[in-house]
Amino acid sequence: MSTTATAPAPRRNLFSRGLEALLTQRIVLLAVLIVLVLAVMMSLDAAGQLSGSYNADYLASSLISAVPLAILGLAQLLVILSGRGGIDLSVGSIVSLTGIFFGLAYGTWGWSFFSSLVLAIIVGGVCGAINGALVSYIGFPPLIATLATYYAFRSLALVISDQKPINSPEIQEFYSAAQSIELPVIGGTLPLIPLGIFTFLIPCVVIVWLVLNKTTFGRRLYAIGTNDVAAAWSGINVKPNRMAVYVLSGVLAGLVAVVTVAQFASARPDAGTSGNGMALPAITIAVLGGVAITGGIGRVSGIVLATLLIVWLNAGILLALPGNDGSQFQLLALGLVLIFASLLNGITKRRYGGL
Amino acid sequence: MTLEKPTTGGEGAAAPARASAHRILPPPVTGQEFVLVGVIAVLWILLGIFTPAFLSPSSIQPLLVSVAPIALIGVGMTFIIITAGIDVSVGGAIMLCAVITAKLLVTYDVPLLVAVLLSIGIGIVLGVINGMLIAYGRVHAIIITFGTANIFQFLALRVFGSSTVNGIPSTLEVFGRGEAGRTFGVPHSFAITIIAVALAWWYLRHTSGGRHLFAIGGNTQAARLAGIKVQPRVVLAYGLTGALVGLAACFFIASGTSTLDQSIGSGRELAVIAAVVIGGTSILGGRGSVIGTLLGAVLVQTVTSGVTQLGWPSQLANLFVGVFIIIAVGTDLLRERARKTS
Repeated sequence: MSTTATAPAPRRNLFSRGLEALLTQRIVLLAVLIVLVLAVMMSLDAAGQLSGSYNADYLASSLISAVPLAILGLAQLLVILSGRGGIDLSVGSIVSLTGIFFGLAYGTWGWSFFSSLVLAIIVGGVCGAINGALVSYIGFPPLIATLATYYAFRSLALVISDQKPINSPEIQEFYSAAQSIELPVIGGTLPLIPLGIFTFLIPCVVIVWLVLNKTTFGRRLYAIGTNDVAAAWSGINVKPNRMAVYVLSGVLAGLVAVVTVAQFASARPDAGTSGNGMALPAITIAVLGGVAITGGIGRVSGIVLATLLIVWLNAGILLALPGNDGSQFQLLALGLVLIFASLLNGITKRRYGGL
Repeated sequence: MTLEKPTTGGEGAAAPARASAHRILPPPVTGQEFVLVGVIAVLWILLGIFTPAFLSPSSIQPLLVSVAPIALIGVGMTFIIITAGIDVSVGGAIMLCAVITAKLLVTYDVPLLVAVLLSIGIGIVLGVINGMLIAYGRVHAIIITFGTANIFQFLALRVFGSSTVNGIPSTLEVFGRGEAGRTFGVPHSFAITIIAVALAWWYLRHTSGGRHLFAIGGNTQAARLAGIKVQPRVVLAYGLTGALVGLAACFFIASGTSTLDQSIGSGRELAVIAAVVIGGTSILGGRGSVIGTLLGAVLVQTVTSGVTQLGWPSQLANLFVGVFIIIAVGTDLLRERARKTS
């Protein structure tokens, strides 16, 4: 390891340096893959193989599904970064439970949007705090703690709502929050981008990036995730910091709940848990984005690029294979990309030493 | 030798040294299992008092039938978790095994033995794929199995072809809920599960292969240096789970109706993992028991059917499952802490 780090790199050609960047830097790999997906889909479109046109408007409108995926991916990034097998299986259930509370507050109790939003954040935060306390203070393995709360929160969401979705008129009008808008200034020159990107996704991305890179909390988090014993010896109070990431993960899931209520125009008690749920895709995004499952390694940009790759790949698959076939092949694509990316991780680690 | 005594010191040092000559293995039944037996007994007595119908054969038999597939896969999952791995693809694998077997039964009306062996064979292939990727690709098990879960689901949905499988013949009814599925009142699927648990218990405790699994989970590097062939052992654990998934898929088909829909297997991976961890197997590897897994599965199923019989909302059952996971693992953690500090 130390020899490779200190070895001088005498004139290596551009190609081998490019290859190394491609293999060792997840950001570069993801960017190349996105370009590849776009190129293949555009050429299929040009050849008339697709059922619709794969153009900028379509790409922009498909971003609506990126909002929950990327925000939950960020939640997993924070949790996995904190190390010791950090993972949050319960985010989908938190989305369901918080969505019901938000739906009750905004749709049934007649609260204002702002106070309902605050309630959603608080409920998400409390759910996350339960996870955090179990993991950080009692010492549960995160997989077990969040598996338990996955069951508990999912059950609570269904029991509280009596298994019925909440779709009062207020909630149905709230659908407008998920619509696409024209940017006021540059207007017509850009494709219509879903409003949720500006109101939820971009603020979350910016805040998480600032927290991870520009605050002491963020830098401590990387230290804890890399080696929490060393972190403790260097004077970091590990427990509250580790608990905080689970609270943050819950808060982010609470925000996603509000987004999903807007998207479905109803607060569904199984919003985050139906089918495969939301947790598994989010973990997949995090791993694809180059977050090391052992903790301490991972970047916000990786999450964003991984989300774009999956969303645009899925959108292309839907055009190439309409209907049921499309959604089935999306599963295949997700599985193959995940396995390919993680095997590549293992190989590059051995070849170049470290990510 | 005499010099070392004061440094290791305390009452803790001398006692294990003497005992170790006789006791290399852990006790055959651990504390966690006694606690589980106690909890299940209390629950059964309470349910028997509040809903008199609970302790009748017509209520216990279906309960055991629904315990069987979860506990059976749980045996394999215990092996995997003992090696510090995990398999979240069993839901997808159940779906794929079940749909192929059901299609074969409908289309070719294959006999029982062929159907079961084919299902097990498919399961083994899926399990070995997982095991090879994890052991030789050296990627964390949870990531690989998330990936293969998607691929297995994709394959299963292709076989389903966007509809249900209808008119499944009653070939598999020997594993089912009906009269044909019981001998002397004991459901066959549950009896098979008990045999599998007994064999697995013996293998894990009394063969070198079984002890190797514990060694791998305790410290993979140390196990490798001690001469254990780590990778074949890991592949074996996943392959075994695959085989059991194949058999359990037959149980699932048998205990359902003549129609197989696409929700088969969905969420089962978490139910199996819940049974394993409630049974006292450490998710960190190196410690676990199949008897605990069986008891864990019985506990989860008791709660599920108890909640329905009490007339509570059936969705409440999952809340109790969550609470039981926390209590079971929590008491284990506290015991561990007490053991370390004493």
